[in-house]
Amino acid sequence: MYYVAKVNSEMCSTHKCNMCTLYCPEANTLMYDKEPKHGNSNGTSWVDEDRCKGCAICVYVCSDLLDRNCIEMVMVTTEEA
Amino acid sequence: MSVDIYKINPEFRDIMPKEILDLEDNATWDGEKRGINDLTDKKEILEEHSLCAGCPEAAALRYILASLPTPSETVIVNSTGCTSLMFPHIALHTVHSLFGNQNAVASGIKRVLDWRFPDKTKDVVVLAGDGATIDIGLDYTLQSFFRQEKITTICFDNEVYANTGGQESGSTPKGQVFKMAPKGKVFDKVPMWELAVTSGCQYSVKLTASAPKSVAKVVREAILIAREMGPSYIHLYTPCILEIGLDANEGLWEMKEQDKDRFVSFKYVSPEAEEYLKNCKKEGIL
Repeated sequence: MYYVAKVNSEMCSTHKCNMCTLYCPEANTLMYDKEPKHGNSNGTSWVDEDRCKGCAICVYVCSDLLDRNCIEMVMVTTEEA
Repeated sequence: MSVDIYKINPEFRDIMPKEILDLEDNATWDGEKRGINDLTDKKEILEEHSLCAGCPEAAALRYILASLPTPSETVIVNSTGCTSLMFPHIALHTVHSLFGNQNAVASGIKRVLDWRFPDKTKDVVVLAGDGATIDIGLDYTLQSFFRQEKITTICFDNEVYANTGGQESGSTPKGQVFKMAPKGKVFDKVPMWELAVTSGCQYSVKLTASAPKSVAKVVREAILIAREMGPSYIHLYTPCILEIGLDANEGLWEMKEQDKDRFVSFKYVSPEAEEYLKNCKKEGIL
């Protein structure tokens, strides 16, 4: 088990942002789904947990730089993954 | 390499891995408008990599690959170092030769491509670390500038020989101590971006990878200038978070700090290249 990033899509879709997808150092890992979500006009970022290495740069971008707090690091286990 | 190489025989589509199908279906190739915004929802040319979690160099490579104007007409020449761990994972032609001779190899490739394909625009881009560009390969780097070779050189500067345990390089700042350089660097950091200007580069930029869109803009400008004018050089700060003792999520913070310090922005564009870039903007190429 290890930590991976998890996006709160309900909070994420209230912003027109996707900055985390640019700053993630991993390829094809933190992506943006443009389909409007949760009654908002924006889509949401999402994480391919199998590819995430758990560096938490996305959390730094979302929380520290943008003060939006839409991403957190969560522990995954083989059962959940 | 032609993009056709990724076209899958319809008979085999049902047994191909999703990653390969995605390369054909969801990546952006030549003729399409492509750029840094593709990173949000398109398939990347870089499939994955084995670099450390949070490595700024890996993020920088994503920006560079997304900014290539015509990836299937691009050859990337790289050198020994952390960067060379990423190239087996990208869907482009890459060439890895001896440590430090990347600019000599790139010069030869560019000349042959221009001779072999006179009706096509071929881009040759060198991606190497500071050890390969500034120390061991300095001779080759500068000679390619002196000779006005039409290639783009991008130096990933992490200011240390990182994957061999932390020896100082010419790019290490004065006084810096590393695990394998305990006495500290006794002379100044080599100002490669200035050497590039005095050696004949048409375009020389120093920046950090803290702003993806700035990196993308600079890469595109450098490649367009190399096509028509002559050598272009990008000096990109991508710190080794392990060697300087930072956590995985602190690489971006470090680059932002250095934006105000050692890597305060430097940009030189020759008058001819500036005129050319203006025309590119008018024509919508840039």
